[in-house]
Amino acid sequence: MRKVAIVGIGHGKFGVRSDASLRELAFEAVKDCMNDAGITIKEVDSMVTGICSDHFSFALQPSAMVHDYIGFLPKGNFRTEGACATGSMAVRTGWMTVASGLADVVLVVGAEKMTEVPTSVATEIMGKGGDATWEYPFGTTFPGYYAMIAQAHMAQYGTTEEQLARVAVKNHYYGMKNPYAHMQKDVTLEMALSSSFVAYPLKLFDCSLITDGAAAIVLASEQKAKAISDKPVWLVGLGLGTDTMVIGERKDLTSLRGSVYAARQAYEMAGMTPDDIDVATVHDCFTIAEIVAYEDLGFCKKGEGGKLIEEKQTYADGKIPVNVDGGLKSKGHPVGATGVSMAVEITKQLRGEAGPRQVRNAEIGLTHNVGGSGQVAAVHIYRRG
Amino acid sequence: MEFRDFSLFLNHTKVKRFVDDLASGKIMGTKCKKCGLNLYPPRADCPDCYSIDMEWVELKTLGKLATFTMVNVPPDRFNTVLQMPFSKFRFEPCPIGLLELENGLRIMGWIPKVNPKEIKVGITLKAEAQILPGGKVTIVFNPVK
Repeated sequence: MRKVAIVGIGHGKFGVRSDASLRELAFEAVKDCMNDAGITIKEVDSMVTGICSDHFSFALQPSAMVHDYIGFLPKGNFRTEGACATGSMAVRTGWMTVASGLADVVLVVGAEKMTEVPTSVATEIMGKGGDATWEYPFGTTFPGYYAMIAQAHMAQYGTTEEQLARVAVKNHYYGMKNPYAHMQKDVTLEMALSSSFVAYPLKLFDCSLITDGAAAIVLASEQKAKAISDKPVWLVGLGLGTDTMVIGERKDLTSLRGSVYAARQAYEMAGMTPDDIDVATVHDCFTIAEIVAYEDLGFCKKGEGGKLIEEKQTYADGKIPVNVDGGLKSKGHPVGATGVSMAVEITKQLRGEAGPRQVRNAEIGLTHNVGGSGQVAAVHIYRRG
Repeated sequence: MEFRDFSLFLNHTKVKRFVDDLASGKIMGTKCKKCGLNLYPPRADCPDCYSIDMEWVELKTLGKLATFTMVNVPPDRFNTVLQMPFSKFRFEPCPIGLLELENGLRIMGWIPKVNPKEIKVGITLKAEAQILPGGKVTIVFNPVK
């Protein structure tokens, strides 16, 4: 297999983007990405698009709107789906396209337009990330699934609502330093703890945001990467795992088995351990998800995730900086874009271009992206060139 | 009985019998006759040994609450905001949870009869079938007397 590097990154403003359509959002990210790579769309051989839901986009093939609008015709575009991990599925597919030799330069776009439907409809669409036959009849929602994971984690390990709130406080602190973030707002512990319940024990500030947005990267083979970029970031480890459709069938309700599996696979492929990671973006769709991710990725022992955030070890100057771009919590979670946005942030960190949220001397980065209530999980490891 | 009387969306399935049994008060799982794997939700096919020779087993539904939540922001299908001027309507969600049975299987269900403040992980409840007004069948966890 050939080596694969990120040689260009692009990101649009995340938020309630009632000013732009799905394809226009994608264009913003692609234009930014072409500028960063210093190439034109004509130099790209092939394309992968991650868009999660036809229900959000009112289209059967929303990716076609994107390849048409960015002027990619007649070259190939391949759409990926993996609920909230859709973007990482696109990154993985882009890697496969280059590594296999099918193409030398591949554009990966992730985009989602979620705010054109009312919140209750968005809640229903996301809720179907669980089992529509066996769980949804009980009024389950996406926050509901993670609330049950939180409740089990609290009962088993003594994790507290305050520890959950501290994740929100950290991610909003860094979101204020990210100009692309949806909610650039300081959130105090008191605010987070006194916000209303969305699904007990998760409160408003434990939840990520319903967001519009797009992100893009260019992946290239070793030969092309060296020609295009003097600061390539290599994608050196990939892992992909799965878990049961209904959460009730999971042996352990406090861990996502797919994340553990994907992490092990990615570490092994990269020849690394959790201690090697300098900076990570993890899937904090809910605050409890970030705490579970610390444990599943091996950043701390099982059950000690709450303590890790309490000791501020996941701040930029801590033992393992996590989500210093604001995370899904503050940056926002346009589902198809999220995995690609994570790759953009890690690339910035490894290039040393993350500005006020830069982690010092970051050489190795990790992204962790989960679909639904854990049904799929993707872990990618990146290294500075 | 139609499967749709249990599920919101899907009606075509090989485990349709589940709904008839539920309507008659029994919560059923399936067991693989070849490798002995117990399954809930029921499946027509064994994911472990790939046998399609399954038998129906009535579950002993006394169990301990493994986890629970209360969904305050319901999905569209359950959204019942009343459009009445000058009136005050406060949505009161019903807790839901996962009940872990003695054999390790977990069932999802509503918890309508326990004071939410007294719901804790580990309490003993019994899963029972219930027919709702309108004919839908569902599963509730009730306190044990």
